Amino acid sequence: MRQTYSPIDADPNLSRREFVAAACAVTASGVVLGVPALADTPKATEVETNLADYLKVPRGAHALPGPFPGRVVQVSNQRAVVDDRVDAKVVGEMFERGVRTLTGTDMRASFRMLFTTDDVVGLKVNPVGAPLISTKPEVVDAVVRWLVDNRLPKGNIVIWDRFEGMLKDAGFTPQRFPGVRIEALQTMDEEGTSWRTADGRHVSEGNFDPAWTYVARGVVGKGVRGYKDDEYYLNQHVFAGEVSYFGKLVTQGLTKIVNLAAYKNTGNGISMATKNLGYAAICNTGRLHQPLFFRVCTEVLAAPPVRDKLVLNVTDALNAQYDGGPDKDAKFVWPHRTLYFATDPFALDMVCHTQLVAKRKAMGIQVNEAPRFTDYLRQAESLGLGVADPAKITLMTVRA
Amino acid sequence: MIAAALLAALLTGGPAVDDATLLPADGAVAGLARDGAAEVFRGAELYGHIDGGAELYLEVGFERVTVQRYRRGEDELTAELYRMSDPTAAHAIYLGRCGDETPDARLAERHTAGRHQLLLVKGGVFLAVNNDTGRAKGAPLLVEVARAVAARLPDEAAPAPGAALPAGWLPGSLRVVRGPVGLGAIVTLGDGDVLRLGGTVTAAAAAYDDARLGRHTLLVADYPDAAAARAALAHVAARFDAALTLVRHDEAVLVYRDWAGRFGDLAVADRRLTLRANLARDPGMPATPPLEAQP
Repeated sequence: MRQTYSPIDADPNLSRREFVAAACAVTASGVVLGVPALADTPKATEVETNLADYLKVPRGAHALPGPFPGRVVQVSNQRAVVDDRVDAKVVGEMFERGVRTLTGTDMRASFRMLFTTDDVVGLKVNPVGAPLISTKPEVVDAVVRWLVDNRLPKGNIVIWDRFEGMLKDAGFTPQRFPGVRIEALQTMDEEGTSWRTADGRHVSEGNFDPAWTYVARGVVGKGVRGYKDDEYYLNQHVFAGEVSYFGKLVTQGLTKIVNLAAYKNTGNGISMATKNLGYAAICNTGRLHQPLFFRVCTEVLAAPPVRDKLVLNVTDALNAQYDGGPDKDAKFVWPHRTLYFATDPFALDMVCHTQLVAKRKAMGIQVNEAPRFTDYLRQAESLGLGVADPAKITLMTVRA
Repeated sequence: MIAAALLAALLTGGPAVDDATLLPADGAVAGLARDGAAEVFRGAELYGHIDGGAELYLEVGFERVTVQRYRRGEDELTAELYRMSDPTAAHAIYLGRCGDETPDARLAERHTAGRHQLLLVKGGVFLAVNNDTGRAKGAPLLVEVARAVAARLPDEAAPAPGAALPAGWLPGSLRVVRGPVGLGAIVTLGDGDVLRLGGTVTAAAAAYDDARLGRHTLLVADYPDAAAARAALAHVAARFDAALTLVRHDEAVLVYRDWAGRFGDLAVADRRLTLRANLARDPGMPATPPLEAQP
């Protein structure tokens, strides 16, 4: 799976103003910047990826779907959010109830089931839409406390996401989480003004692993006519071409992953557990949305660096959003006061998708229930990564 | 640089407006101080501002967004001024995001205001003002910022995106569709721009309750000419989604049954294409509203 880096080929001396001028020149040639290419795109199922390469790698001891395929725990507590304030103590209690219900044992034994004290544990949060709909720091507090109480060194815990600025905006700062590492895969320079180094390379190039890739053949742009390799787009792409590289943090730095997603829609689908990791473990994701979208949520999780390390998924629905996602839209946010738990992210997403569709209908949203919005979950089941058939999923509800 | 600005102005059909000047200056509104310089994201650069969901803006017609952060004491606000390609595009975004509108009496323009966010549309501008801390004391500031911006925007007649639809749609269900992202929110007929809207043909869609057909969605698209409308219908047939079953089809009508046993139909009359989705039963002959139908 080793690929050669193919950095975006752009003139490092191209200034912002010159870029605008260049873009205008493109426009003058008859192509409109910012108008999506609406030519018929290939069907998601027609795009060739390197999924088969992942499947050849023997599964690790903790490979998905983990020890509890098809089991999902839903813990609700009306005291969790009161007057828009999250009650950290109540959330901590909900977290313990959720873990214990999922594993059927106490917190210490649950820790031993999923971790060792030598692990380096990545807590993948979702900072998009802060402060309304992002992963709540109080949920992260509960996870950190559990890990540390079981003698995992605090320095072995890494709160991470793709983007540095978003982590800060969502409250994931060294001041808020002293002793815990906070890392982003994609950063700007120290001044926060450029994605490039002085020699024209992307600041974050070194954060990605050439040994682990997600390849989508022929998918090289993001479907926007007039697209140039502009500076802003670099925050999504880092490298050009049909290859997405996995973050070194995921492939080399972490030994376990706890996935702490938010609860929200993205169009008719959901942006929860599988999307939180599928679009965050790799770079070059902008190109993938239009042709592949949800398929990425299954196939990136099938890659061994994720498949063999993802041991627990907690979807934070203390606040939830039923429309307008994945970015925050206050009109559609409600206090759901719920946390969901699973080792199987696909069963978890199927439960949450079903519940969110019901919520959307109840709120008068026009819902398109085409099977394509959950096909990726059935694909995961066919690959043995999880359970998607509702008849095979066990939902355990706890109300405090 | 001047040449580039002039070229940009020519290409956008008017003088290059610095949208940052439309946003409150430092200390100009309620003591709010600008927190850093305004950021501008043009065209495809929107992907650098919106992490998921930029496609819809680009599809309906997006030019640029100017983002300015503000601070006052513990309060932090962000104003996002989206310059869309035309007033209908601005309404397309607003209608999709406003939900049940909760207006504030101090604002005359169409808007919805809440504790966390204020959304406003005026002409070709869609404005979002976010209360980044969520503090209740910050909510009145959203209105003050919006008032200041709205006062600087020129008055112009608001578009009527639902004009082609019959009256009686369910409140909050009106949508503007110009491509596959918008259409996909309502119905899946096939892959890609199956209706050939191309970002330029504007369709209006809304939900209706009907005693015979149940709760369903009606979409009306007016193409440049009858040939384009017929070509769009033929394109649907050619790209028909595998999860749908074709019931009957000719050059003017297509009826299908979906995966859940519900029906849908598309009909072309002159340059107008009408789509109904989620019908409780086979509709028989489709009903096509006349071109001049008004609510």
